[in-house]
Amino acid sequence: MKIAFVGKGGAGKSAIAGTFCRFLARQGNPVLAVDSDPLPGLALSLGLDIDDDVRIPDEAVRERQEGERGPRFRLVDDIDVVDSVGSWSVEAPDGVRFLQFGKVNGQAESGQRLWKSQMAFRQITSKLPEDVWHVVGDLPGGTRQPFTGWGAFARTVLIVTEPGAAGILSSKRLARMIDLENVENVYAVVNKARDPGDADFIAERTGLEVVGSIPWDEAFADAERARRAPIDMAPGSDAVREVESVLERVLQLDKVGA
Amino acid sequence: MKLAVVGKGGSGKTTTSSVIARTLARSGQPVVALDCDSNPNLGISLGVGDEETERLISMRQALDEGQGEHAPTWDTLINRYGSDGPDGIRLAVVSRIDNPEPG
Repeated sequence: MKIAFVGKGGAGKSAIAGTFCRFLARQGNPVLAVDSDPLPGLALSLGLDIDDDVRIPDEAVRERQEGERGPRFRLVDDIDVVDSVGSWSVEAPDGVRFLQFGKVNGQAESGQRLWKSQMAFRQITSKLPEDVWHVVGDLPGGTRQPFTGWGAFARTVLIVTEPGAAGILSSKRLARMIDLENVENVYAVVNKARDPGDADFIAERTGLEVVGSIPWDEAFADAERARRAPIDMAPGSDAVREVESVLERVLQLDKVGA
Repeated sequence: MKLAVVGKGGSGKTTTSSVIARTLARSGQPVVALDCDSNPNLGISLGVGDEETERLISMRQALDEGQGEHAPTWDTLINRYGSDGPDGIRLAVVSRIDNPEPG
């Protein structure tokens, strides 16, 4: 699978994506978790300390030569993507491999560096064979950045939505920005649900298929404060268990579709 | 006073801005609220409603696509591209929108 998590800022993409990766890996699947959000988050929810050096090396990207076509930056020619990603990424608990883009020294990269990082990200994530790794991406929040390059690899997009007017409006904006030529499945995941009717409410208002409704759970907030993975700090919490159900539903739908 | 509210996604910028704007307006001050977010939701928090929030965004987007003329001055901008909200607030969306289709 190649999955991207998108959503309004603060909707809970990172916490859900990290937990999702851990459950996927526990089933014996090889998982590459990629973070392209300029703000940290996925590392913590996977159970890693933030390490800004976990990124592709500058030498892996070169500039277009005169007479060449295509994007200005590309991976150097003889790179074996599978081997390289293996060596650039770090291991998180349960064997998840973690790699991040779009950051330098904890700050958003600007201009040319961000562009280089994005071109490398696009090529790596599109070249990685799905039978070697499931690729799960935590994309930038909001509606400006996710589909200007970071989201191009995804075949399944999960839109994380809070059950409020701003969350719904943001999710509708995101849904209509998705390039349906490349994306096979678009689902909504309700987060911070406070009412059993929230899933139906979101389905009705956004027109999206809802694959899970994660309840408002102090455990998620506590884990974030403690800089720990929710799956380690609160494995039995309702929120963490619902993320596992989301994974099961996505896998099931993937099978049916295939 | 010219006040900007910034912060991480989901931290409450929009809600905070709207309450400050409404509170100021209720004390009798003229208030212009500018939504500079690339995912603009300030209209919802101020209370102008979903439809009007999206209408302001569509207008702003039409400008970016060259279908309208940019306002030459700030008062033209808020008169032509703004909307009246509760408590006499004037709201305008001034962010750059990367949203392909309105509606």
